[in-house]
Amino acid sequence: MRKPSRREFLETSTLAVAGGSALMAQVNANGQIPRRPLGRTGVEVSILGVGGYHLGSANDQNEARKIVDQAIEAGINFFDNAWEYHKGASEEWLGAALRGKRDRVLLMTKVCTHGRDKSVAMRMLEESLHRLGTDHLDVWQIHEVIYENDPDLIFRPNGAAEALLQAKKDGKVRFIGFTGHKDPEIHLKMLSHDFPFDTVQMPLNCLDGTFRSFEHRVLSEANRRGLAVLGMKSMGGSGELVTHGVVTPAEALRYAMSLPVAVTISGMDSVGILEQNLQIARGFQPMDAAQMEHLRDRCRFDASDGRFELFKTTKKYDGDLGRSQHGFPGAEDLPA
Amino acid sequence: MPQSTSIPMRQFGRHDVKISALGFGGHHLGDAEDANTAVRMVREAVDGGITFFDNCWEYHRGKTEVWMGMGLKGLRDRVFLMTKVCTHGRDKELAMRMLDESLRRLQTDHLDLWQIHGVSFDNDPDLFIRKDGAAEALELARKQGKVRFVGFTGHKDPEIHLKMLATGFPFDSVQMPLNSFDAGFHSFELKVLPELNRRGIAVLGMKPLNGHGDAIKAGAITAEEALRYAMSLPVATTITGIDKPEILQQNLRIAQTFQPMTAAEMQALRDRVRIYAADGRFELYKVSLKFDNPEARLAHDFPLDMNQPEVKEMVRATENTGRPFPKVSQ
Repeated sequence: MRKPSRREFLETSTLAVAGGSALMAQVNANGQIPRRPLGRTGVEVSILGVGGYHLGSANDQNEARKIVDQAIEAGINFFDNAWEYHKGASEEWLGAALRGKRDRVLLMTKVCTHGRDKSVAMRMLEESLHRLGTDHLDVWQIHEVIYENDPDLIFRPNGAAEALLQAKKDGKVRFIGFTGHKDPEIHLKMLSHDFPFDTVQMPLNCLDGTFRSFEHRVLSEANRRGLAVLGMKSMGGSGELVTHGVVTPAEALRYAMSLPVAVTISGMDSVGILEQNLQIARGFQPMDAAQMEHLRDRCRFDASDGRFELFKTTKKYDGDLGRSQHGFPGAEDLPA
Repeated sequence: MPQSTSIPMRQFGRHDVKISALGFGGHHLGDAEDANTAVRMVREAVDGGITFFDNCWEYHRGKTEVWMGMGLKGLRDRVFLMTKVCTHGRDKELAMRMLDESLRRLQTDHLDLWQIHGVSFDNDPDLFIRKDGAAEALELARKQGKVRFVGFTGHKDPEIHLKMLATGFPFDSVQMPLNSFDAGFHSFELKVLPELNRRGIAVLGMKPLNGHGDAIKAGAITAEEALRYAMSLPVATTITGIDKPEILQQNLRIAQTFQPMTAAEMQALRDRVRIYAADGRFELYKVSLKFDNPEARLAHDFPLDMNQPEVKEMVRATENTGRPFPKVSQ
């Protein structure tokens, strides 16, 4: 599959917004980016968050710094990252860009034990803090819970779950959670441990509702438990929904942000993409139930075999570190 | 030379037909060194007691059907010949053209069994049973006498198999992965096998060695353990890929001396491999696109893998025509 072009996003988006509703035009004039409670943590989070993987895909560090600066100026306060993104470069670039601004944001990163034990997790935490130039994280999550035995490995004695509690006790992280993009059943298995998670991250988009749905199976359970839900992959992970003409960026992002989530994390690897998303998020008014249903229906055929949710149906989005810990071939040998 | 009756014969579902408990997988035949080797292996397999021959319209762009046709020349009546149709959701008319091409390549006027290939995507059952879909082709071909029995195959998800059964179509056979790893991960053995047995549908096991023998190479299990486990299940036959004469001899020996494992032996093996089964690392057909052929991926608009041998073959064959799809001749 060809790499989706960011320029295509932008062009499609410009069209979408130009032809958008009067409401959008009105609120875009002086709209703020709305904030919502981050679950029961008592803090508030902007409805749009900056994804850490794509930050590391920016042309250079200078572009990454501009993305972070402009995002903060626009009112975004949630920044996502992971220990394994771009071999640490995503964390380093974010850390450098946040110098002097650390207190204005909610900083999240993820630990990449992929089944290994607590001591590995604690070493990764120190490394993440160092790269990010901070003495604490606001949210620390277990990354990529996508293999069926991950919950068992995470909750075994001396597993990564113990590291989350330890880090919280040590004051190095305020809130804890996990993330994964594969299968709602694996998320439910994680939740079934009744562990005191504060957050849970999952793919949520207008196709998910009709295919192995996190929206139907996990979102309501997370809401019931009072967890903060962090939505991701609103456009398919690499913009597949947009580059294949299924939906516009505005439709994709607005659907995701209309769900009962705290924040929708979006990968933005250029200032242009950031500006596109800011325009959608400023003065955001949620879609109503009928509009959401209509959009799901329109996408039903494209949703029905998972062709645009490749993170569920293929190995494409599964990182090499997790693969190697689980005895799978790397991306070179098994691209999808 | 062993007697041709030396491999156990089993009943083909609810029909009064017997097939060998070990079946010759068509895909790997296309990996043989050359056509002569392939022909020799087919003939030695028949001599060794194998009667069940598997194939598929899309394997190696038709090469394996051609080679098997050559190998079975003069032996057609001694075997039970199956091939598969590769509509992947497309319509009846395409299926019928593929059937005629398969018959021509296999040098026969009829198939014993014709199956829908690669039922792997969640919406395949809907596309199969829709008006003018492949289900109508199966019925028509049977009525025309071009095929005796019909079925389907897939390696992805037990739920998709159950959805195919829920269409109510009168299948004679169903093919699926069955091995000691499957029992601990998205299991066809637990979810689909009992239902087929209950309905009297012939079960064709496949991937007894997990597709490419990765678990054997990794030392998790031996070929003999793997094959014996699969053959000990309540199936009509176990189809295994054979690409080299020495693999054929190994498998013939295992099948000719076959004694079913006891329930306790099977449980012990499942327990032993449970740690590997738990994340699907040796069942890549369930958790990745690796075993989904380019024809299926294209029909469903999924990405191709440019390193996949069949994609390379496809590119080589089409690079001067500009046509991405293998062409079905009239």
